[in-house]
Amino acid sequence: MSLKIRRIALTNFRKFREPFVLDGLSDGLNVIIEPNETGKSTLLEAMRAAFFIRHNTANRLARSYAPHGEAVAPQIEVGFEAGGGEWQVTKRFLKSASVEVRSPNGRAQGEDAEAQLQALLGARRDTSQAGDAAAHGALGLLWVGQAQALEVTPPGEIVRDSVRATLEAEVGTIMGGAAYQRVRPRIDSQFADYWTNTGRSSGRQLAARTEHEVAERAANEAVIRLAALEQGFSDLEAARARLKVLDRDLADTTDAERRKALVGQIEVARSAAQLRDTRRAEQGRLADQVKALDDLATRLADARRVVSDTTAALDKAREHRSVLEEELASARERAGTARSRLGIARDNRRNAHAALDAATRLIAARARQTEIAQVRQRHAELLPLEAELGAALVLGTTLIPTSIIKALEERERAVDKASAAVEAGATRIEFIGDVSGVRIDGLPADPGDRTLSRETRIQLGAAELIIRPPAGLRAAETELANARDDLGAILADHGVTSVADARARNEVARDAVANARTIEARIAGITPAVPALGLHAGAAALKTFVAALPESAEGAGSGEQPDLDALKVTVGEADSALARAEGVDDAASTQLRDLEARSAPLMAQAAGAERDAANAVAQLAALEAKPEIARLAEALSEARQLEAAALVSLQDAERAATAHDVAALERQIGVVDKRVEVARTQRIDLEKVIAGLEARIEAEGGKGLADRAAAAQEEAEAAAANLVRVTQEAETLKLLRDTLEHARAETSRTFVGPVARRARRHIERLLPGCDPSFGDDLGLTSIVRGGRGESCGDLSRGTQEQLAVLTRLAFADMLLEQGVPVSLILDDPLVYSDDTRLDLMTEILTDAATRMQVILLTCRDRAFRHLGNRITLTAVE
Amino acid sequence: MLRLIHTADWQLGKPYRRFDSDVRAALSEARFDAIDAVGKAAVEHGASHVLVAGDVFDTEGPEDRIIVQAVSRMQRYACTWWLLPGNHDFARNSGLWDRVRTKGAANIRIVAEPIPRELEPGHWLLPAPLMHRHNLDDPTALLDTMETPSAMLRIGLAHGSIRDFSSRGESRNQIAPDRAQRSGLDYLALGDWHGALRVDAHTWYSGTPETDRFQRDEPGFALLVVLEPGVEPIVTPIRTGRFQWLQRDWTVADAEGFVAQSERLLANAEPSATLLSLSLAGIVSMSDRIAILGMLDNDLRHRLRHLAIAADDLVGRPSEQDLADLQVEGMIGTAAAKLMGMIEAGGSDSVTARRALERLFVEYQRGQDAA
Repeated sequence: MSLKIRRIALTNFRKFREPFVLDGLSDGLNVIIEPNETGKSTLLEAMRAAFFIRHNTANRLARSYAPHGEAVAPQIEVGFEAGGGEWQVTKRFLKSASVEVRSPNGRAQGEDAEAQLQALLGARRDTSQAGDAAAHGALGLLWVGQAQALEVTPPGEIVRDSVRATLEAEVGTIMGGAAYQRVRPRIDSQFADYWTNTGRSSGRQLAARTEHEVAERAANEAVIRLAALEQGFSDLEAARARLKVLDRDLADTTDAERRKALVGQIEVARSAAQLRDTRRAEQGRLADQVKALDDLATRLADARRVVSDTTAALDKAREHRSVLEEELASARERAGTARSRLGIARDNRRNAHAALDAATRLIAARARQTEIAQVRQRHAELLPLEAELGAALVLGTTLIPTSIIKALEERERAVDKASAAVEAGATRIEFIGDVSGVRIDGLPADPGDRTLSRETRIQLGAAELIIRPPAGLRAAETELANARDDLGAILADHGVTSVADARARNEVARDAVANARTIEARIAGITPAVPALGLHAGAAALKTFVAALPESAEGAGSGEQPDLDALKVTVGEADSALARAEGVDDAASTQLRDLEARSAPLMAQAAGAERDAANAVAQLAALEAKPEIARLAEALSEARQLEAAALVSLQDAERAATAHDVAALERQIGVVDKRVEVARTQRIDLEKVIAGLEARIEAEGGKGLADRAAAAQEEAEAAAANLVRVTQEAETLKLLRDTLEHARAETSRTFVGPVARRARRHIERLLPGCDPSFGDDLGLTSIVRGGRGESCGDLSRGTQEQLAVLTRLAFADMLLEQGVPVSLILDDPLVYSDDTRLDLMTEILTDAATRMQVILLTCRDRAFRHLGNRITLTAVE
Repeated sequence: MLRLIHTADWQLGKPYRRFDSDVRAALSEARFDAIDAVGKAAVEHGASHVLVAGDVFDTEGPEDRIIVQAVSRMQRYACTWWLLPGNHDFARNSGLWDRVRTKGAANIRIVAEPIPRELEPGHWLLPAPLMHRHNLDDPTALLDTMETPSAMLRIGLAHGSIRDFSSRGESRNQIAPDRAQRSGLDYLALGDWHGALRVDAHTWYSGTPETDRFQRDEPGFALLVVLEPGVEPIVTPIRTGRFQWLQRDWTVADAEGFVAQSERLLANAEPSATLLSLSLAGIVSMSDRIAILGMLDNDLRHRLRHLAIAADDLVGRPSEQDLADLQVEGMIGTAAAKLMGMIEAGGSDSVTARRALERLFVEYQRGQDAA
C-alpha cells in the first residue's frame, strides 16, 4: 500500500523553535521548493524520528533533536494514511518523553505505540547512535537523505525479506525458507563449536586436540617414569650380580699363594744380585790397577819425548838470537851519535834566539823613550788650555736663561706701563720760583716737577692747597712700585743691574761658551791615544799618565842600533840546523827501537825454551826415580791377566743375577696387592650403589607407576579416539554448513533476476542498452554497457545518483506488490544530473507518483517547479 | 580330602580409562568385590585354602591403595590365600610382593619361589611362580623335579598358556599340556586364560572371578575343587562375577529388525550389569538409521551399564520419499541434493558427505517435530 503523509507538525525540533505545521501533501508527487537553510532536511529527520526512533531514547541522536543549547522537549506529530486508515503519531523526546499512536485500531501509547508502528512499517528496533536505515525497513531504503543520494545501497534484510514473496512467486518454489531459517542457525551454532569463521579449528576441536596432546604427554611421562623404575630394578639386579662376583674374587686364594711364591723368588734374586755386585767390585779394582800401570808407562815415554823436543827448540832459539845481537849493537852506536849532534844544534839555536831578543828589546825601549818625551810636551801645552777652558766655562754659566730675560723684559715693560699709568694719572705739579715756605705734606718742597698720586697738602704759606689726584693714581703708583720691586728682585737674583746689563752679560757668556768649545777641540787634538804606551785618549788620561811617570825616564838610548837583520839570519840558520839534527836523531832511535822489538820475543822464546828443556829433564828424572819403573812391563802384563780372569767371573755372576730380576718381582707383587685393593674399594662402592637403588625402588615402587602408566596409556588412547570422533564431527559440520551456504547463495542468486528485470525497465529509459548487474545482496554492483562492465563507483556522479533513484523505485514497486507501506521521499535529488537526464528522471518520478506518494525536497526552483503539487514551507503558523 | 577354591587373573587395579568415570568406578569396584565373592564361596563351601594362580594385580607396580584394599578384603575371610606371581605381577626383589608382605596379613601366603609348601599335613602345593614379565620357558618344568616326600596330594599352581592353544592366551610361556601327569600332580591349578576351562581331568583354568573385557559372554567364575588321593578331582564352577561383557554383531535391514534384536538381548540380560559392544551393519533408509541411532543413544545407552557402538557399516541411504520431502524445503533440498551428489560420486568426501546428509536430516526432522 502506499503510505501517504498528510501533515507534519514540529515543535522545538532543531531549528524549528516555533511550532511549525506542514500540510497540504497530496497523494501523488509533492514538491517542496525552498531556499537553503529553511529546514527541508530537518523535516526528513523529523519524520524518521517520529517513525523509527524510540521516544525514550536519550542518545546523541535524540539529544540532537533539541534546538541547540535549549533544554526543551522536541515534539513531532505526523498524520498519515496507511492501508486506507488514518493514522497519527505524536512523539515527544527527552523531557517527559512519550509517544501516542492513533489508528483505526484505537489509541496506543508508549511501548504499545512503538510496537504498532513497527508492525505497520515492518521496521526493527533501532538502537543505533545515529540511526540505522537498515532497521527502518522499506522506508529506510526509500526515504533518501542527501548523504545517501549517491549510494546504490543494497536493501537491508528487512527489505529483502519483504520482497522475497514477490520474488518467490516468480522464481518458483522456495518455500522452506522457513525450514532453512530453523536449520541453518542450528548448524551454524554447532559449526561454531568446532570452527572459527575463517575456517580454522577452534572450540571442541582444539579442546579435543589439546586433550589428546596432554594425554599423550602424560602417557609418555608415565612410561618414562616407569621405565626409570624398571631401569632401577635391572640396575639393582646387575649390581647384586656384580657384588656376587666381587665377593667370589675376594674369597679367591689364588692370588695370595702367588704372592707367597713371588716373595720367595725375591730372596733368591737378591742373593744373586749381591754376588754379582761383589764380583763387579773386584773386577773394577783390578781394572784400575792395570790402568794405573798403563798410565805410568805412557807418561814415561812422553817425558822422554818432551826432553828431546825441548832441547831442539832451545838450540834453534839461541841461533836466532846471536844474529840479531850484532845488528842491535850497531844500531845503538848510531843512535848515540845522532843524539849528541842534536844537543849541539839546540844550543846554537838558543843562543841565536837570545841575541835576537835582546836586540829587539833594546830598540823597543828606545822608541818608548821618544814617545814619553812627546807626551810630556803635550802635557805642558794642555795645562794652560785647560785653564782657559775653565774660565770660559765659568763665564758661560753666567748665562741668564732666556726665560729670565723675557721675564726681565716683561717686568721692565710692566714698570714702564705702570709709570706710564702713573704719569697719565699723575697729577703733575711743577714748582718754579721760590719754593721756600712751600711745604708738601709737611715737607719743604723742591723746585721741579712732581707727580702727585694721592691727596697732597701743599702749604702755601697760610693757605693750603689740597690736591686730590684721581683715585686710580694710588693704585697705579702702587702698581708701579710693585713692578719696580719685581724687576729689581729679578735683577738682584741674577746679579745684574738692568736688563741691558743682563743682555750684555749673556753676550759675554755666549762668547765664552763658544770659546770653550774651541778650546775643547784643541785639547782633544793634543791628547790622542798612544797605544804603544798604553795611553788612552783624553786629557785626564794624559794627566794621569804623566803623573805616574818616573822621573828618570829621560835618557835616549845610548849605543848604536843593533843589526836586527843579521841576527835574524843567524837565527834562521840555527833553526834549520836543529831541524836536521832532530830528524837524524829520530830515525836512528826508531831503528834502534825496531830492532829491540824484534829481539825481545826472540829473547823470550829463547828463555822459554831453556825453561822447558830444564823442566822436561827434571820431570824425566823424577819419573825415572820411581821404583816401579824397574819392572813396569812385567807388572803390567801380570795385572792384565788378573783383570781378565776377574771379568770372566763377573760375567757369570751377572748372568745368574738377570735370571732373577728383583725389580720385576716387586712390581708383580705390587700388582697383586693393587688388585685386591681395587676389589675391596669396588665392593664398598657397589654396596653404596645397591643401597641407593633399593631405597629408590622402595620409594618409587609404592607409587603404582606401572598402574599409572597403564592408565595413562588407556587415557591417551581414549583421547585419540575422541579426537577422531570430534574431527569427524567437525568435518561433517563443515561440509554441511558449506553446502548449506552454497545452496543459499545459489538460491539467492535466483532472486536477483526479478530485481534486475524491474530495474532494467527503468534503467533502459535512462541508459539504453545498459544491463544492470546485481550482487547476491540485491545491491547494484555494475552496469554492463557495450559488453564492458563498469562498477557503479566508477560511473559519473550524475549516473550514480540516477541509478540510485531508479533501483529504489524498482524495490518500491516490489514492496508495493507485497502490500508493504511505501512512500518515496527524496531530499535534494539529482543535483548532478544534466537537463536532459533531469527531464527524463522527473518523467519517471511522475509516473511513479501514480502508484505511490512521492515527496521531493529541493532548493532548485526552475528545475522542479513545473512538477506536481508545490508546497511552501513558509506557511508557518 | 581337601577342598579348595581355585581362582586367578584378578587383575586388580585395571585402569578402564576408556570408560567414563561412573562405569570405571563400578568396574574397578567389581574387581575387588570379586575377592569378597571368592572369600564367601570359600567359607560357604568349607574350603580352607584359596589358590590364586597369578595376575592378582594388573601390573607389577600398583598403587598402595590397591594393595591395601586387596589385603584388607582377603583378611576378612577365614581361609588361607595362596598368591602366585603371574606375568603381570611377576616376582622380583624389592618389588610388588615385598610390598604385599610388609602389610603383614596372617592369612596371605605369597609363593614367590618354586619351593613346595605344605597346605595341610600331607597336602603339598607345588608353585611355579613367574620371575619376569616375559618368560619363554615352561615354568612348570621344575615341577617335575620338585620333591614332596610323603605327600598325599600334590597340587600344582602355575600361570601360562598351554602349548598348542589358540593365541588368545596372554603370556608367552608355554606350559606342557600333560604337565599334571608328568609331574605327578593330583591337580594343576592354572591361570592366564580368563575363562573357566577344563584342559583335562586334572588340569583346569579357573578364569577370572570378574570378567574384565569383551571376550566372552559368561560372567566370572571361581572353581571349587575337591581332591582326594587317587580320585579324579571334582570341580564345580561357582559364579562370582557381577558384570557381563557382551559382544554383538548385528546386521540390520530396518529399524524394526533392530528393535527386535535389541529386545531379545535385553530380555536375556540384566541390563544394568551388562556392557555391550555392538557393531551394526546393513543398508537402511536414512530415517531408519536416524531412528536406530536415536534409540541407541536415547534408550539403550541409558539402560545398559555401558554401550560401545560401531555403526559406520550401517549405511543410511535416503529414500525417494526422504529426498522429495527435502526437495520442497528449498535451500535445504538443494543442499541435500548436493550432498547426495557427493555421496554417489564416491570420492574421498563421500563418507563425510554421508554423515553431513544424515545430520541435515536429523536437524530438519527435529525442526519438523518442534513445528
